[in-house]
Amino acid sequence: MKKIMLAVSVLAAVYSCKKEQNAKTGTQTEISSETPKSNNKIVTLNGGITEIVAALGHEKEIVGTDVTSTYPGSLKATAKDLGHVRSMTIEPIMAVSPTLILASDKDINPELMGKIKSSGIKTEVFKQEFTVDGTKKLIADVAKAVGNTDYQKLNDKIDADLKQVQPIAKKPKVLFIYARGPMLMVSGKNTPMASLIELAGGENAVSDFEDFKPLTPEAVVKANPDVLFFFTSGLEGAGGNEGALKMPGVSQTNAGKNKKIIAMDGGLVSGFGPRLGEAAVGLNKLLIENTK
Amino acid sequence: MKTPSKLYFYMIISVLLLISLAVWSLNTGVYDFGGKSAFEVLGKLIQQDPDLSLSDKYVVWDVRTARIIMAILIGSMLAVSGTSLQGLFKNPLATGDLIGLTSGATLLAAVAIVLGGHFQQYLPEAVQFSLVGISAFIGSFLSMLLVYRISTSSGKTNVVMMLLTGVAITAIGFSVTGFLIYISKDEQLRDLTFWNLGSLAAATWTKNIILAIVLVISYSMLLPKGKALNAMMLGEKDAQHLGINVEKLKKQIIIMTALMIGTCVAFSGTIGFVGLIVPYILRLLFKSNYAFILPLSAVCGSILLLTADTFSRSIVQPSELPIGILTALMGGPIFIAILVKSKKSLA
Repeated sequence: MKKIMLAVSVLAAVYSCKKEQNAKTGTQTEISSETPKSNNKIVTLNGGITEIVAALGHEKEIVGTDVTSTYPGSLKATAKDLGHVRSMTIEPIMAVSPTLILASDKDINPELMGKIKSSGIKTEVFKQEFTVDGTKKLIADVAKAVGNTDYQKLNDKIDADLKQVQPIAKKPKVLFIYARGPMLMVSGKNTPMASLIELAGGENAVSDFEDFKPLTPEAVVKANPDVLFFFTSGLEGAGGNEGALKMPGVSQTNAGKNKKIIAMDGGLVSGFGPRLGEAAVGLNKLLIENTK
Repeated sequence: MKTPSKLYFYMIISVLLLISLAVWSLNTGVYDFGGKSAFEVLGKLIQQDPDLSLSDKYVVWDVRTARIIMAILIGSMLAVSGTSLQGLFKNPLATGDLIGLTSGATLLAAVAIVLGGHFQQYLPEAVQFSLVGISAFIGSFLSMLLVYRISTSSGKTNVVMMLLTGVAITAIGFSVTGFLIYISKDEQLRDLTFWNLGSLAAATWTKNIILAIVLVISYSMLLPKGKALNAMMLGEKDAQHLGINVEKLKKQIIIMTALMIGTCVAFSGTIGFVGLIVPYILRLLFKSNYAFILPLSAVCGSILLLTADTFSRSIVQPSELPIGILTALMGGPIFIAILVKSKKSLA
């Protein structure tokens, strides 16, 4: 009797899943179709690259993006969000039937890369450098990949924007804190944030390590930043300015004593795409306000 | 003693269930074959239909079929390794993940990946995988020896010692994974969930071939050992009198389970509890008759893991739930049930 019951319950479970599946596949997301510039169906797997493709006027060809592609906001309605590039799998990418996949060498994982390569879909992986020249080169490379030669205006705009950055007499030391849930990381050398801080006339408070490291109270005190810099979302998650001031070691620093905390949109800060100049000017303004 | 024909009956039922699950799994996923079922596409692929689009072909063969086969191979080996270990230690709690074999394998596999990363691009794919695979095997083998040495004396296993050794090895493994987390970038952190909760997303045919070779080698040695394991339950001396070469049997089980667990961990990370759940359910049905539960666990392990994996990739589309979450969800309560049952004997 026991055995029969067991067999029946297993079969019932399998059957009910089947039904659920059929119900699921019935709803396919409608993709609005305005006239795209070419017949490409592009999947972009990096926020900056997504911005470049959109700024070149190919937004309508983008059929799928990763979680960091937050700009332009209109993409939400037309492109499928494929999640985080590190935990992405091949089938959802194939499901939007792309003809071209664009990714950055900085964040794609080798397993997925191998799968994408063997899928036979045309793929371009760009070398990304977080500098002004690196960004201009990326724009040129991406333009070439989507078959567009009209990219100079984007680079000119970056230059024009950067001209508006005002020099700051006494360079403020800025510490970028990356807060995701309970984990706090600070950005060292060779990170997009360090690069942007320099462009905006500040100085990255950490100079003795590269990439991101977990925040320790002693390191914060030692770096003694004048300003704390967050992503808007990260600051909210950490409990706003109040929460930031309570972080270990912060109260002992100039930034903590003077309550100098600034936040900017994560996509704008770390994108290093067509809005690089805008991001630098925005940060420059915030730094000037907070160093008086 | 039940008759072999009864065993065949259950085997056939299980295999049929596995095949129907595979068909269901093949038809499950976000990719749309334009009105055709995945099964039809696979049929066209086998007939080498020239009209088949490259993408359809790729998704059916290199993504879904490869993954289904990997689930079948790994699920089977994890279950058989659990069953064999339980026969060796004469205890339903002996499984690769509880006595630390999985952690030992993970530990050395991770080290091989970190160190091997420097010259990885110069090696052919098969060599890369086998490097990690071999390290994982050495890791699980050393853990196995350690556990066996510490917990077994004169043929008697002290269960508490066995589990505590597992705890110790797992702790060491954890510290190494912790260190890897510390030195890795934020992006790589997500890759480490692979080691902690397992995934079959990276299935390829190269990996499947290696897994299949390991499976054939270990099964040819282990699967005929059902009767010998039954005799072992009487005690090693009595088994010896029945003409069973106990020492040789023990050695074979130790090496083969280490090989199977090591290879599985190298390719799919830590998928826990399969070796606990499957034998437990089979014991409910057939008591501890290894002549039945050893071959049946080979098929039922596949059934369990294929079901879990198909769920894991369809519950939260377009992303995936790490498969270890699902197996732990099933295994945790069973673990407690075994503990409650054997409360007296453990005390």
